[in-house]
Amino acid sequence: MNPWELIILQPVVNILIVLTDYLFDNFGLAIIALTIIVRVITLPLTTKQLRATKGMQELQPKIAELQQKYGKDKQKLAQEQMRLYKESGMSPAGCMLPMLVQMPVWIALFQAILLSLAVAPEGLLNLSRYLYSWPQVYPMLPLGKEFLGLNLAEGNFILAILVGGTMWVQQKMVTPVTTDPRQQAQSRMMLWMMPLMFGFFCLTFPSGLALYWLVSNLITIAIQYYMTGWGALVPSAAGKPASRDKKYIRRITQIEETTSEPPVEADIVVPSSEGDYGRSGDKSQERGGGYPPSLRTIRRQSGRGGSHRPKRR
Amino acid sequence: MWSKHRNKVLLIKILLLVVMLLMMVGGLSGLGCIKGLQPVGWSGGAVVDGTLFVGSTEGRLVAINIADGSRQWSEALTKPAAAGIFGCEASTAGGGCAAAPAGVAIYGTPAMADGLVYIGGYNGKISAFNASSLAVRWVYPREGYLDEPVVGGPVVAQGKVYIGASDGKFYALNAETGDREWEFQAGDKIWSTPVVDGDTVYFGSFDNKLYALSATDGSKKWEFETEGAIAATPLVYNNTVYIGSFDRHLYALNAANGSLEWKFMGGNWFWAKPVVYNNTIYAPNLDGKVYILNAETGDEIVDAVDLGSPISSSPVIVDGSVIFASQKGLIYSIDTDGNEISPPNPIDVEKNVYGPLSASEGIVYIHALKIVSGCATSPSEGELIRLNAQKWEIEESIPLSSE
Repeated sequence: MNPWELIILQPVVNILIVLTDYLFDNFGLAIIALTIIVRVITLPLTTKQLRATKGMQELQPKIAELQQKYGKDKQKLAQEQMRLYKESGMSPAGCMLPMLVQMPVWIALFQAILLSLAVAPEGLLNLSRYLYSWPQVYPMLPLGKEFLGLNLAEGNFILAILVGGTMWVQQKMVTPVTTDPRQQAQSRMMLWMMPLMFGFFCLTFPSGLALYWLVSNLITIAIQYYMTGWGALVPSAAGKPASRDKKYIRRITQIEETTSEPPVEADIVVPSSEGDYGRSGDKSQERGGGYPPSLRTIRRQSGRGGSHRPKRR
Repeated sequence: MWSKHRNKVLLIKILLLVVMLLMMVGGLSGLGCIKGLQPVGWSGGAVVDGTLFVGSTEGRLVAINIADGSRQWSEALTKPAAAGIFGCEASTAGGGCAAAPAGVAIYGTPAMADGLVYIGGYNGKISAFNASSLAVRWVYPREGYLDEPVVGGPVVAQGKVYIGASDGKFYALNAETGDREWEFQAGDKIWSTPVVDGDTVYFGSFDNKLYALSATDGSKKWEFETEGAIAATPLVYNNTVYIGSFDRHLYALNAANGSLEWKFMGGNWFWAKPVVYNNTIYAPNLDGKVYILNAETGDEIVDAVDLGSPISSSPVIVDGSVIFASQKGLIYSIDTDGNEISPPNPIDVEKNVYGPLSASEGIVYIHALKIVSGCATSPSEGELIRLNAQKWEIEESIPLSSE
């Protein structure tokens, strides 16, 4: 057994079998339970990734402006982009890193489900290599494959549609609202590519895996809704802040109402007029006051969610 | 310039997406492959009158003249139409249909009687072939397929073919015509190859039970429930039935009434059929050990012999030695006098061995498979290894592919 199998795959397989034992010998329920457990454990990473993605989306118009302004000077453009990321507390890696960290977990779950399903006789023989000497593990196998009238070992058209549909909803929620035709085309591609691919996978893989994807998608949708609202899914809500954002906006409003001058150590510093901009030694200048006026509002937006505020220096 | 940059960004995003998807799907093969998504088959060989019959991974019955190694193939078993879209079958294709083997998997060892050879296929069909021409004599069911695959092998006795299927039904078919004489419904899949002793047929099921039925009419004589599924073939010796279970126990039951005589616990499932020699049971286990037990008491005669990798193939006895094959393809001989490995050096066939061994005139026949990329087996890689048990050396092997 290689280290991956020993450290990751084997424990997940055995937990899945024990969960089946506790959940009325129902492998479908065990898949759902383990998916929820894994998603709860990786919740901090998921929320971090969602916040970073949203923050990056909000930065896009500003980056576009920078690109228009410094398009010919690559070095300057890179500098300004880095500065913008730094000032806003965003990082392109912030979107990818949590996702990459979660990938091994997803793959382990994915493999464990396929392994535990033991579709062919060779699969059942292979599964025996991964079993712990826990009393309930050996007699539990092979696991029952019936769940709500589905055979979890076979592809299922309805589940494929549900997985594709939930993935579309999930993608739509994070699709940035843009008027740029190129970005629109790109968003459209992303919106349809993933659901179609996963829908196809669901037809060709055992539906136990589709069940995992479906539950995982539903959890992601719920987290996304809590974090960022319906996004582009409900056009009327696209511009509205999510419940989590509302608290933060209320806080900003309170600060603005109670202070005539922006507090220098406040989380968010917004120059109140052109006159503030460029004042020597002003805190606002240190925090990005060097940007053109159209870029300044970004610092107010970047504070949403509370986790990406500029670091105090 | 601006447009170029955007194209680059788009390209990078698409690449990232593709990499993610490939990681997810490729995780199957890259990070410890999920073996066993595709049924491949591991049929053992049956030697009758100088001819060895074995099922190939191409889904054909192969007849091999053991004197000169000449081969003859039957027509390939047919499959039900693909259930999925784009020609893929979810239950068999696993990670995409491209890697799925073309043939119908055959797991059971063929049985022969009165000029006919019988096999059960993973396609859910039982077939009888003419032993000399390998032409199909009959198939059951005549139209269509059983609801579930056939994994266990057939046994022929009293003019009937006895075989179980994954639909939980145990069938007794007329050996000459293929007509169904009777059937018995078990609680779950039947992968166990039955054994007939007198007027009783014994087989295990995934419903945890060992059944003893009347071979004549299929009426139940008794049943014994273990705590795990049963995939093993029973061994009947001295009015005792020995059966291994997924609850890690080997049970010894009174053949007349099914009462428990003793049970012995191993380290993993007892999958393969044990053998008996001089009142000693040699029981291979998936923990890689061979347990050597007193047939009457179940006591260990000597410490278990560790072969290092799981043993799913049933051993054979040749000239007072019990020959075992581990899944890794290492062949061992245990001398029944001292119950120790002798000769001390195993033979490596450099392929995997899952199916039962067979022997004739001092030669052990081993159906070996080459696992390709850990997931799929190419049908052309299956071959029959010939091991001279006395000289303890491999003789020329026989490829089972018809190509």
